[in-house]
Amino acid sequence: MTLLELMNFYVIPGLVLGSIYAVGAVGITLVFGILRFAHLAHGDLATFGAFAALAVVTASGISPWAALPIAMALCALIAIGIDKVFYDYLTDRPKIITVMASLGIALMLRAVIQVIWGVDTETYSRGLVRPENYWGLRLRDREIFTMLAMFAIVGVLWVFLQKTKWGKAMRAMSDNPDLALLSGVDNRRTTMLTWAIVGALCAASGFFLGLNTELKALMGWTMLLPMFAAAILGGVGRVEGAVLGGLVVGVAEELSVLVLPSEYKAAMAFVILLLILLVRPTGLLKGKLL
Amino acid sequence: MKLTHLVVAASLFGSTALVANSAAADVKVGLLGGISGPIAAMAPPMIDAAKLAFAQVNEQGGVLGGQKIVTVVGDSACNPQNGVDAASKLVNVEQVTALVGPHCSGPVIAVANSVAAPAGVALITPSGTSPEITGLDDKGTVYRTVPSDDYQGRALARTLVAQGTKNVAVAYLNNDYGSGLAGAFKAEFETQGGKISGYAAHEEGKASYRTNLAELSRGGADTLVIFDYGDGSGLTILRQALENGFFTNFVGGDGMKSDAPIKELGAENLTTFVASSPMGEASSSLDSFNKAFTAAGGSADAIFVANSYDAAFVLALAIEKAGGDKAKVPAAISAVSDGKGEAVAAGEWKKAVELIKAGKEIDYKGAAGDLNFDANGDVPGAYGLFSIDGESFKLQTPMN
Repeated sequence: MTLLELMNFYVIPGLVLGSIYAVGAVGITLVFGILRFAHLAHGDLATFGAFAALAVVTASGISPWAALPIAMALCALIAIGIDKVFYDYLTDRPKIITVMASLGIALMLRAVIQVIWGVDTETYSRGLVRPENYWGLRLRDREIFTMLAMFAIVGVLWVFLQKTKWGKAMRAMSDNPDLALLSGVDNRRTTMLTWAIVGALCAASGFFLGLNTELKALMGWTMLLPMFAAAILGGVGRVEGAVLGGLVVGVAEELSVLVLPSEYKAAMAFVILLLILLVRPTGLLKGKLL
Repeated sequence: MKLTHLVVAASLFGSTALVANSAAADVKVGLLGGISGPIAAMAPPMIDAAKLAFAQVNEQGGVLGGQKIVTVVGDSACNPQNGVDAASKLVNVEQVTALVGPHCSGPVIAVANSVAAPAGVALITPSGTSPEITGLDDKGTVYRTVPSDDYQGRALARTLVAQGTKNVAVAYLNNDYGSGLAGAFKAEFETQGGKISGYAAHEEGKASYRTNLAELSRGGADTLVIFDYGDGSGLTILRQALENGFFTNFVGGDGMKSDAPIKELGAENLTTFVASSPMGEASSSLDSFNKAFTAAGGSADAIFVANSYDAAFVLALAIEKAGGDKAKVPAAISAVSDGKGEAVAAGEWKKAVELIKAGKEIDYKGAAGDLNFDANGDVPGAYGLFSIDGESFKLQTPMN
């Protein structure tokens, strides 16, 4: 096997997959870090975002990329709504109850998706897109855009968290919610802002997955485990860690086929999750301890 | 305002009265199918076809001297855990007389082992094709109206070799359906002198199968055989293999004969794609089923609809023959379609009831084939290789 083959068929698919995981993992790490619970409805919210973009595309005929911001905004509103109606009510109870509630939300969202859009496999555009050749590297436009968009979205988020007042409030709440409250941070509005960002990120990850493969009602749910593995691998609460974790999990899954029978590919995320919890529970970039 | 309250109350009262009346003299049958999950697109027509059979029974006088057959639908989601949950609910809570379904092989095996066999409740699957189902220790409760994949895999292997395809790679879904079909195919293909240069399982629901395909193509084959579902990961594999040019020819099992590849990839890109599938043999039963199902708004070309209809109809016959006794239904199923007795075609419910009342043996000739269950509850069958012509699958060549 030549180096180019290794790049084309193993590393590049891994990086694209990793970028999709990364966008989802950033959302998971934000909920984990700021609101302190494992959000199991993340995958299905991503599916909702992907289908919302599909609805915009089929209704207006615009390019899927133009539909992405609309889907992100819609998903942000849905995420805020879910928090107001369900999670907010459980804030003072033990966190495990919110985690279980989020599992219920996941099932509800999936049922809503199946009722509205049905159970057929869908795509944003019909037909095949064969890759272009860049000095031997075979890349599709949408793969390049997926990776670039991932870095752009995460970059904007990082600057927002580091430089703006509200970003600092979010980080303060992540460090210590009581202290943040005493220092004048409005916890309710910060929570709302967090959900808006998480919802938008969900829509983006679902959209990228749908763009690179197909849209199915279960697409987000099957991505949940690798996304969690990526968030924990990178260090809980660390945005840049989630990106690193996502890329590592994606590439590791694809490269595993070289040494393991391919039916064990899906188990790679489990293996990474187990190893990191055993060896370095804070994650690669020293996140919070769970 | 008061009037609406009154109307609501009256209608509620009315509906409870209806329920109470019908519950007194109903035979409940469970329809267990993969309504959500990887075959979600195939399941609704199959459920409709089974319901059509029961509707015909009810129209023509019902079972057991005028009782109606009522169906209760359960979702197996095409996976063993959900299948067992849904089946336990149907059998223990709803107290159904028998089950039609589940659709996928994995849940069929799980439901047979942990629900149907222990409870002694009959189970007829219209589409569970894994060879594993033949050898189940099911106490005679498990039947199917679709032939085992052992036969399909072997027939597909012989047909490919006869067409001059000697070197293939096989990608199969890692479940009872995929591995059963792939195992039968591999054994026969190698016996016939063919070479399998890549043979690998994959999990469903992954975003990328390019590495799997790269590994498979390293053996130098230009034909990829896919045993997977065309609505699920089979579509992703087909797309990525076509886009990256890993293989030039594609062969699918019956699960790949779905409309999703045509709809999403475009017929113009699928000129080198063929799929094997059970083939209805022309018969008066098939004609009358096609007519009735089309009239009811269904598509008679959809996969496994004739098998689903047969499963439901043969079950109704068995309930009639067993006199409604749950424990006698399993044995009655093989008695009403064993090749002996007076022939009964699809939809001929009145005639069948009269024959049973007169104490005569009957032999149901189904829409999908003559059935004639063997000791394992299996049926023989006919297969064809289908290619895409226009926007749908057309028979290319029969397989044997």
